[in-house]
Amino acid sequence: MRDLTVSFATRQGQLRAVDGLSFDVGQKEIVGIVGESGSGKSVAIYSMLGLVREKNVTITGSVLFEGREILGIGDKDLQPIRGGSIGMIFQDPMTALTPVYTVGWQLVEQIRQHLHLSKAAARQRAIELLGQVGIPDPKSRVDRYPHEFSGGMRQRVVIAMALSCNPRLLIADEPTTALDVTTQAQILDLMLKLQDTYDSSIVIITHDMGVIAEMAHRVVVMYAGRPVEIAPELELVRRPRHPYTWGLLDAVPRLDATSERLRTIRGNAVSPLNLPPGCAFAPRCDYVMDQCAQRPPLHGTVDHVDACWLTDEQRVTIRSAVEEHS
Amino acid sequence: MFYFIIRRFASAVLVLFAISVSVFLIFFATPGVDPAARIAGRSASAQVLAHVAREFGLNRPLPIRYWLMMEHLFIKQDLTSYVNIGVRVVPQITQAAPITLSLVIGAAVIWMIVGVLGGVVAAANQGKFIDPFIMFIGIAAVSVPAYWLGEVMNLLTQSKFHSSIFAWVPPPGYVSFTTSPGEWFLHLLFPWLTLAALYAGIYARVLRAELVNALNEDYVRTARAKGLSERRILFRHALRCSLISIVSLFGLDFGALIGGAALLTEVVFGLPGVGMLTYTSLQNLDLPVIMGCVMYGAFFVVLANAVVDVLYAYLDPRVRLA
Amino acid sequence: MSDEVVLQATDVVKTFSSRGKKIGTRVISRAVNGVSLEVRRGETLGIVGESGCGKSTLARCLVQLSPVTSGTVTFEGTELTGLSRRRLRPYRRQFQLVFQDPYASLNPRRTVGEIVAEPMRINHLGSSSEIDARVRELFSTVGLDSAAINRYPHEFSGGQRQRIGIARSLSLNPTLVIADEPVSALDVSIQAQVLNLMADLQQEFNLTYVFIAHDLGVVRHVSDRVGVMYLGEFVEFGDVGSLYETPLHPYTEALLSVVPELNDTDAPRRERIIIKGDVPDPADRPNGCPFHPRCPVATDLCRVEKPELLTIVPGRQVACHYPRNLAAVKAANPST
Repeated sequence: MRDLTVSFATRQGQLRAVDGLSFDVGQKEIVGIVGESGSGKSVAIYSMLGLVREKNVTITGSVLFEGREILGIGDKDLQPIRGGSIGMIFQDPMTALTPVYTVGWQLVEQIRQHLHLSKAAARQRAIELLGQVGIPDPKSRVDRYPHEFSGGMRQRVVIAMALSCNPRLLIADEPTTALDVTTQAQILDLMLKLQDTYDSSIVIITHDMGVIAEMAHRVVVMYAGRPVEIAPELELVRRPRHPYTWGLLDAVPRLDATSERLRTIRGNAVSPLNLPPGCAFAPRCDYVMDQCAQRPPLHGTVDHVDACWLTDEQRVTIRSAVEEHS
Repeated sequence: MFYFIIRRFASAVLVLFAISVSVFLIFFATPGVDPAARIAGRSASAQVLAHVAREFGLNRPLPIRYWLMMEHLFIKQDLTSYVNIGVRVVPQITQAAPITLSLVIGAAVIWMIVGVLGGVVAAANQGKFIDPFIMFIGIAAVSVPAYWLGEVMNLLTQSKFHSSIFAWVPPPGYVSFTTSPGEWFLHLLFPWLTLAALYAGIYARVLRAELVNALNEDYVRTARAKGLSERRILFRHALRCSLISIVSLFGLDFGALIGGAALLTEVVFGLPGVGMLTYTSLQNLDLPVIMGCVMYGAFFVVLANAVVDVLYAYLDPRVRLA
Repeated sequence: MSDEVVLQATDVVKTFSSRGKKIGTRVISRAVNGVSLEVRRGETLGIVGESGCGKSTLARCLVQLSPVTSGTVTFEGTELTGLSRRRLRPYRRQFQLVFQDPYASLNPRRTVGEIVAEPMRINHLGSSSEIDARVRELFSTVGLDSAAINRYPHEFSGGQRQRIGIARSLSLNPTLVIADEPVSALDVSIQAQVLNLMADLQQEFNLTYVFIAHDLGVVRHVSDRVGVMYLGEFVEFGDVGSLYETPLHPYTEALLSVVPELNDTDAPRRERIIIKGDVPDPADRPNGCPFHPRCPVATDLCRVEKPELLTIVPGRQVACHYPRNLAAVKAANPST
């Protein structure tokens, strides 16, 4: 993805939900996109697949999938890719499946759309898939309706559907946010196992840094539609550079922590309509400088880039002061 | 599912019973009114009054009177209209029923086709011109009263253009299917269109609203992400889910119409159906006939409700547990 | 934190009954299956559990929003469970609820000022102007601009709405605040702000909290003592530090092990214990120990005999036939 920009024309002006997002996903790589609500992370991925249906949207940039441009190519050309080479898992398993058809029917529908199998063969594959995602007794459950499954089970069905046509890329939009932590563990574990079996790459979108730590090889941190830091996962949690990343990492209450107060990011999430000129995070940043009136570009080393004017020396000083305090 | 059906129909029977009791009480137990006079109609002789009093056990307790009335109406079927002397109530209704049925079924076919088509086209083309256009026509159809529309149709087909464009339109009235299918069709054509207009308008608007909602649901997004064509998404996913509410609506409307709610159309086009019968009996205060028509209508409404509930459970698997 | 008990619940049971599949049968669902707890003045009692464990139902039972099916709830010595609504009213001011959904718990048709003032108005706590002044005071206490009093809930963000909910709960100067998942719907940075606010308020007003959540990290941060709920009952209870470090119940152990953790230090990660299966339906409870169908160390005994909640060392209780980390817990507490 290069320079993806998504804007909506609203009555209150142009709303830039995504502003210049660029990143790569390699073979068998898991890339995590992390950000809070309003960061544009979901909109970016949906617009890539033409799933943003609002009439007032403008999408620019470029997205190459296996070497081929897929941004803005139109429904007819995207249909073979959606569900075929790119599988999607959505956030809320309770509403993701059509309530009036059995899960088997919905699986078969996708399978026959992309792979040319007979009804019987497709049904077999559906049963196989349900077994692979850990649904007990798949032979009989394949004819059940979505509402007969629990949240965790429904999410497994959604995963089965996403993987049904051996996709090269799996996109998971907050796949475990609506689930309990034990179910979340099951689902994440499942995703890792399946990624190994199917050799697919994964893009996982979440607001939970813990999930990122468990799953991602590389991380893109987004704020107000802009990427503010991109780094390998270990680098990001051990040597974060952007103040927003610091804020996100520090704000997570830890299982082993005993600090009295959590470090917070002051203020509220910025509204995409009221973006300040320059750095979008400046109003909430504890280390804002005059320079921040200019929007910082993404810069850094090959592997680790960030969008902040702070120099490395300044960062070291700040972070060691913070560490002393806590 | 099976228990659901049984439960549903059991409650339908109970409701019918309750309706029969209410009807009975309204007509025959209102204080200050002489039931015998009501049954016999105006200007009845003392002899007739005495006969009625005996027949219906008007000196006996209320539950017995209720039972006798029901017996006359349903079992013996010898309840007679005291306005049209000697004419039995039940045969009057059974003769009128097929006419209403013809009218309603034909109109239903038309309005469902037109309404669903209109709703689908409008929803699929949201924002383009055809969408508000169809909705406007729909609202116009809903706003126009059936009797006005019917009379205008009559005006055009019977007088104004009778000699030219509409020469083939027969005069108002009914010809049964068995007598002549062609004539049956021609006599019913404009009544069908009149009756269907109102409902087609409603259904198109309702379906459009439901479809637009459904198209914004998460499961449609999943379907799209599966790589399905927009067409398939619209028909197999969105429409299938939206039809559920349309079907329930249809059941209720259909039931009410069969029971006599099409009376305005029947009167305007001179079709002697159940609606017309109810209308004339109301005008003449012909109590036995009124009671018969009310029970007949109520039966179909209750039946339609029950069938709709069962159908709903069939179409929407989530409801079956309730 | 004193030893004085503010709220005490004894064997609270809450059941719901619904129509069964066969005609004439009824299905009884035990949402809360015999819960006893004590909340001491000034402390924060955390209740942690996953969805369906009954913690929200328990919260409602504690404040008498839902009548208990059996058991008692006592507040500062007075038993609440038998009281009529009228007699309950004066006590209601002393304990308040904060709800989970900041979007649904505020009436969208009222201004936020009216929402916060309402409890005071209902209880006739002063004249109109006095109440007004108090509302402004509360707003600034929770960190909101008092000029915002006349705005409507939809004009505020989730975090701000939650602050309004907290302001509302404080308006009657309660002794006890029961917070049911107050930060679950908020972004992590806002969550931190609200948690800090609640801690400050606890200090300032000497509040006692019962804090219900499914997020183990959040519960760890705010609580003094924690109860772990599963299928309507407590399976473990204890001081928060000790419980998190050496959990006794297999469910607690598994729960703690699967919380996704940041790997920013080289400390060894906990071994993840992934429990199979789903939480059973409370209408169809397993025999014996409620956790046995999913427990990695269950035996035949567990299938048959339900373990009681027993005190292992002062400050730690567990309901299990084969508690984990038993030696470590006992070692940490040499008095036994």
